[in-house]
Amino acid sequence: MADIALKATGINKTFHDAVNLQVLKNISMEVTKGEFVSIVGKSGCGKSTLLYVLSTMDTDYEGSLDINGTTVTGKSLNDLARIRNESLGFVFQFHYLLPDFTCLKNVMIPGLRLGRLSYKEVEEKAYEKLKIFGVEEQALKKANKLSGGQQQRVAIARALINDPAIIMGDEPTGNLDSKNTGIVFDLFQKLSKELGQTIITVTHDDDFAKRSDRIIEMADGEIKSHGHK
Amino acid sequence: MKLNVNTEIALTYLATRKKQTVIASMGVMFGISMFIFMQSLMKGTNDYFEKMSFNSTPHIRLYSENKVADNHMLVNFLKDPSEKILINPKQLIQTQGIINPYGIIKEVKANPQVANVTPQVTADVIYTSGSVQINGNVAGVNIDQEDKMFDVQSNMLEGDLHDLNKVNNGLLIGKGVADKLSLHVGDNITVTSGTGSPTIMRVIGIFATTIKQVDDTKSYANIVQAQNLLGKDRSYVTDIKINIKDYNNAPEVARDLETMTGYKAEDWVKANEQLKAAFKIRAVILNSVIGVILLVAGFGIYNILNMTIYEKIKEIAILKAQGFSGPAVTSIFLQQAIYIGLMGGIVGIICGFGITYMVSRIYIGAGTLKYLPMSFYTPHYIEAICFGILTTIAAGFFPARKAAKVDPVTIIRG
Repeated sequence: MADIALKATGINKTFHDAVNLQVLKNISMEVTKGEFVSIVGKSGCGKSTLLYVLSTMDTDYEGSLDINGTTVTGKSLNDLARIRNESLGFVFQFHYLLPDFTCLKNVMIPGLRLGRLSYKEVEEKAYEKLKIFGVEEQALKKANKLSGGQQQRVAIARALINDPAIIMGDEPTGNLDSKNTGIVFDLFQKLSKELGQTIITVTHDDDFAKRSDRIIEMADGEIKSHGHK
Repeated sequence: MKLNVNTEIALTYLATRKKQTVIASMGVMFGISMFIFMQSLMKGTNDYFEKMSFNSTPHIRLYSENKVADNHMLVNFLKDPSEKILINPKQLIQTQGIINPYGIIKEVKANPQVANVTPQVTADVIYTSGSVQINGNVAGVNIDQEDKMFDVQSNMLEGDLHDLNKVNNGLLIGKGVADKLSLHVGDNITVTSGTGSPTIMRVIGIFATTIKQVDDTKSYANIVQAQNLLGKDRSYVTDIKINIKDYNNAPEVARDLETMTGYKAEDWVKANEQLKAAFKIRAVILNSVIGVILLVAGFGIYNILNMTIYEKIKEIAILKAQGFSGPAVTSIFLQQAIYIGLMGGIVGIICGFGITYMVSRIYIGAGTLKYLPMSFYTPHYIEAICFGILTTIAAGFFPARKAAKVDPVTIIRG
């Protein structure tokens, strides 16, 4: 059996607003390395909530979560930040680039944060990543001067700067037209097939989901199908 | 460029919001420059008044104080201290002044802290010229030593003070005395003390201090002449005036001298309590003004950082998602505060120096005070920048902590 990139065991999560609402019910799942997994389901079924639990940003849950064979449940916020920096990349529905910085800087910031490489090396690496996504010409432009598709590509390049074990996408194509959706999908596929990156995305887009390796279907806070072939 | 990534982000935020940055650092700048200006003015003024007070007051004055009559004679006679016949003891006048003054002067001079010692005979007198009489006092001094200790020369309006050594019955009078009796250099004046006979003396000089009370009453004579005025012998001395090397030690040295000589030693701090009180009041006023200015500057920084954090809350969330920990985010925003403080501080120091310098050139011409007394004292500048940076750190701390607590999930999910 291939290596496990991410393993969730018995995840339960309840929102305690006016009434107690259990949004995740005893979820267990595994994702192997190099897999491209889509999580689908109706709005409100808990798929985004699950993704944020898997991302380590949301720590208010029961159950346990392993990333790359390390249990991250119960670690301090600072340790989790370090883990995110090192092993996780994020692509969101909105690009969330920092508008005051150039595209190149935006890509570099997580790399500089990690501090494993020198400034020069991070800069070169960031430029390489931009090249993969065909936005190297925009490298020195301010992030808010780019088109939506370009911004999303820069955002993906940013997610990759530290060569993370897992890339997580929260509707990464939700805000893009079909042409750009196609580009982003091709990029994700390239990442998983050629570079062996693990990808977990939450999506509404059925076409997008169908073309991925595996579809996890969710309904009412539970996994209906793990999609194993 | 080898900046820490937190520093780089902090600097970029500052650079892209130039207007706010400039306004915030101007707040600090005003605070710091006011701090420096006010401190310089206060220290300058205090130094000036201190120096002024030393123009007329010695650091320590040794004199023979009247004593309350006690019952030791009675005890000697009755051999029973419980017997109390004296029910309302009165002050006894000490008619001899200081006994063996020159011996005491020699002893005082042996103290390593003492710089200068001079004897004085003070006599309360009535000045008479024509039919007008005014009260005053004559200080019988050794004019050369007096000049060395109190810079009498700088107060001289007319005449030469060294003539006091040459002219037997010479007298240096205050400007007020001269005006009231219409006296000029070379005129005669009758001086009468309570115990001696009226003496005709000659005005050989006129002086003016900035203190009207002194100018209206005081005059200098040769010490021998003052003894004559009082009808006393050559060993009669009422005061011994002592200047020491560091006037801040005056209270301690005074205590030593008191025990050593048995006479009352009054230090300048006691003699100028109103001066010390004025210093204290000024310090309170000054510190409250500076406090308010720095507080306002601090609120400025607090507001601007708070606004930045509201505007950038999504960016903070995304930074945290990418692995920036709480302390890293705190550092980004605290650094912004510190840079604002540093910029404002440095410009403030330059401005503060400029203002201080300009004000020190303003001519006011009151008495012997020609220009506003300003002091250029380096520790003020160091204090100022420390206070400035402390204020900005305090003001930046709360917004920065708030930024660190941003929950990325809530912000990113909307």
